[in-house]
Amino acid sequence: MSILTSKPALILLGCVAAYLLPYGLNSYSMHVVDIAIIFALLAIGMGLVMGVAGQINLAQVAFFGVGAYTTAILTTHSGFGFWTAAIVGLAATVLVGLLVGLPALRMQSHYLGIVTLGLALGFVNWITNAEITGGADGISGIPVPPFFGIDLADEYLYYYLEIVVFGLALAFGTFVVRTRLGRRLRAMRDDALAAGAMGAEIPLLRMTAFMLASVYGGAAGILYAGLIRYVAPETFSLGNMFLLLAMVIIGGRRSLIGCVVGAVGLVLIREALVDFAVYAQLGYGIVVVLMVVFAPTGLAGIPRRVREAVGRRRKNDDVRSAELGPYLPGPAPAAQVPESGADSGPALEISHLTKRFGALTALDDVTLTVRQGEIRGIVGPNGSGKTTLFNVISGLYRPSAGQVSGVGRDISRARPYQLSLAGMARTFQNLRLFSQMTVRENILVVLDRSRTSTVWQYAVWPVGVLSNEHRLQAEADRVLKEYGLTAFADAHPQSLPYGIQRRIEIARAMAGRPSLLLLDEPAAGLNGEEVGQLSSIVRSIRDQGVTVVLIEHNMGLVMSLCERITVLAAGSVIAEGSPAEVAATPEVIEAYLGDSAPADIPVHAAPEVP
Amino acid sequence: MIPMRARSRHIVAAPAVALGVLLAASACSAPGDSSSDDADSSGPIKLAVVDAQSGQLASLGDWEAKGAKLAVEEWNKKGGIDGRKIELTVFDDQGDPTTGTNIARKLDSGNYVAMIGTAESAVTVAMAPILKQAEIPNITSGQATALVDVKSPFLFLNGPTSTTYDSTLADYLVTTKKFKKIAMISNNGSYGKGEHDAFTAALKEAGITPVTDQVVTTDQKDFSASLSRIRQAKPDAIFIGSEEVEAGLIVKQSRDLGITAPFAGAAPQGTPVFIDTAGATNAEGTIVSSPYLSNEISDASRAFATAYKAKYGKDAELHGAKAYDGTNIVLTALKNSGGATGKKLADEIRATKYAGLLGNFAYDETGVGIFRTTIGIIKNGKLSAAQ
Repeated sequence: MSILTSKPALILLGCVAAYLLPYGLNSYSMHVVDIAIIFALLAIGMGLVMGVAGQINLAQVAFFGVGAYTTAILTTHSGFGFWTAAIVGLAATVLVGLLVGLPALRMQSHYLGIVTLGLALGFVNWITNAEITGGADGISGIPVPPFFGIDLADEYLYYYLEIVVFGLALAFGTFVVRTRLGRRLRAMRDDALAAGAMGAEIPLLRMTAFMLASVYGGAAGILYAGLIRYVAPETFSLGNMFLLLAMVIIGGRRSLIGCVVGAVGLVLIREALVDFAVYAQLGYGIVVVLMVVFAPTGLAGIPRRVREAVGRRRKNDDVRSAELGPYLPGPAPAAQVPESGADSGPALEISHLTKRFGALTALDDVTLTVRQGEIRGIVGPNGSGKTTLFNVISGLYRPSAGQVSGVGRDISRARPYQLSLAGMARTFQNLRLFSQMTVRENILVVLDRSRTSTVWQYAVWPVGVLSNEHRLQAEADRVLKEYGLTAFADAHPQSLPYGIQRRIEIARAMAGRPSLLLLDEPAAGLNGEEVGQLSSIVRSIRDQGVTVVLIEHNMGLVMSLCERITVLAAGSVIAEGSPAEVAATPEVIEAYLGDSAPADIPVHAAPEVP
Repeated sequence: MIPMRARSRHIVAAPAVALGVLLAASACSAPGDSSSDDADSSGPIKLAVVDAQSGQLASLGDWEAKGAKLAVEEWNKKGGIDGRKIELTVFDDQGDPTTGTNIARKLDSGNYVAMIGTAESAVTVAMAPILKQAEIPNITSGQATALVDVKSPFLFLNGPTSTTYDSTLADYLVTTKKFKKIAMISNNGSYGKGEHDAFTAALKEAGITPVTDQVVTTDQKDFSASLSRIRQAKPDAIFIGSEEVEAGLIVKQSRDLGITAPFAGAAPQGTPVFIDTAGATNAEGTIVSSPYLSNEISDASRAFATAYKAKYGKDAELHGAKAYDGTNIVLTALKNSGGATGKKLADEIRATKYAGLLGNFAYDETGVGIFRTTIGIIKNGKLSAAQ
């Protein structure tokens, strides 16, 4: 139940310290602190877009500049009041943020870095040459922000304005990170493809990330304009962009507090070393390299790494010693399975589906129908097109020809997140859990069935987000208990044994209360006991009214569990029917087992699981 | 014990209320700098040089610091001011305005009486409001008109503004040489654009429109397209608004294209770097507008150049000379006022008449002390005053 943090005393202490700080500082130190807070705001924005959402953004300094320059231009040229100009400035920054975010829809990682870097360069060139920005001379004479009779020309009083804005910004950032938007952003960072299949609208999330970064950049720019009351191109140079990058990397980009520590720390160190600037620059470079190599999670990640190292040495890590709990089927809700429209047609209907990759035909005229409430097995040799079939059904690939309909409509052209929200869930052959999130968070990502476009709630009505959050947490507890994962709720998936990770994938898929579940080799890597547990889980899921389609190589499991089996070979359906019928089909024996004796297909050999 | 597992709503509310109460209280007793501004009048007099010592502008900053140090050393050798030694500290602004404002606050806290620098107009403008508030006079080496627009009574220039460079040059070309057809080539960087705008304005004043106005980029290496246009226009003279190396390349390539008209420009075109890049023959006849044509221009400049060479082992140049002049003006004002500070010192600087390397300084209320440059012409690879 830790929404902000479980330590209100610490927060209160921080507030008192922040309030008392100016009483102990001379005017020079006060100025440096004022500057440090502005950089901390910028760093939080960077942390949100880079650390939380995983979008490389080297244009943060341009957001900073747009906020500062818009305020400067509107107050000095157009005679706007400071705060009116500030609001327009923030709006302008958000627009620029969305514009800079556009390339992220098409490219990622270092390509995105290059494009955003180019945009930042373009901005500096523009302000150096444009008439309205005063060229290289910049814009001076920005008025002191009026504030209910408080003289903000006094940098001590300005500090209080800054610290309140900063406090609100940090609280809002933390709120975003720890609630549903932040979970989706982090899920996207860890695995964009899986996040999409779990209901996250990736393009919209990427734009949201850039928008968040631009709001923080714009706010920092406005505060800068009000503090220095002069803007010039040098302030928004690439040199400062890399300084900002160093702050975020040294501090720890995945933790907002880390970003703040990095920013404040580096501003203070830079000030202390101002007389050794040449060596200091070199020093930052070395520190950044060392951080990336030895502590990729930055300063913020060090406590956890130490704790983990100590835990390994003691070997009494409670997570490792914990046992996977038994599966406790829920009270068969079947809430999501509409019984309306009697019999409501097949759960999944594929007709004449073809998928080509260039000259390769992966699926060739596949037709198959899965009844409601059926457990369907799909088998076939490696490379026969099973996973491709799943990828087409779940919207990762577009079919080259043919139709797919399921979850009540034609889904040939639907996007993965639409299918997820409509009631389709899947697991992946190679586990695709969100590795930097806890097990509970993995579940929570899917429990949240809201459209990403409801992020407006964050700006307008955060209380709604919070009450929704309480409901989601309660549901997460239920899902964790149901799948026997309560003991691992706060562990990171990659620290857990393989069998447990498989269980988490199924729990995660089922958290969205789907009507159709696709399992891609759910038994791969499981021991005999675990396969038995899996079998009972799948049956129970079906008993709740969910249609299950599974790809599996474990023939024992398939033969005992599935009511009907479809056999693929070289992209075509070569047989379909009950396990016994399929096992007797000569084509299957030939394709699957070669010419050798068919006798040992273990039709009845699989043990009945309890 | 404080309950560590309070409900989240209380977590949000408690600090917010606390902060609100504290903020309300802050209206009564605002924090502030309690250290007094009383400079003690017995210890050394503290002067600051603020300039980029690292980054792209480091060489400029280094020249400036050398000039200022030389002046302070000479004064200290003569016994300082009223028996007080002068202490000069160099601060590195890294060419960054924000760092500049930090240093401005530091000068205030450290009771510095005056500041020399910076060479970067943007940094100086950013520092100006703080220095004005702290009443620390500042003699800058910048030449942008933005410095004058700041209208701070504590800000002075140690040279002419860029407008002066270009109006002197335009006046010489149009009135003295009677040139009618003037072509322009400048780059789109901050220096080039400033020169372009100032020279265009000066020409307009003289009633001349350039026959062609070519703009190149700062990193361009081949100028044949622009130069062909200039050749077609058959100008009497060509104005260059560009830094040393690029200007040298432009002159070299235009001679290759058969352009024979003389080039004209501001201080960069008088430097050895420019002459070396263009080649002495190609640069022959280039008209230069500069307040400090060379180390050989007067007895004072020869003495300065000799002392500079003796101390640093390098040839003196314009920026060192400007900082040397500026430092001398501050020290003269300090001496005349008996070690005054703040507003009194600023007034004293404004009243100081000083015969320096760049000419006779006499400040007006805008903080500009020099209103003319000298026209020089390159002959046999050396810059000398025009006859």
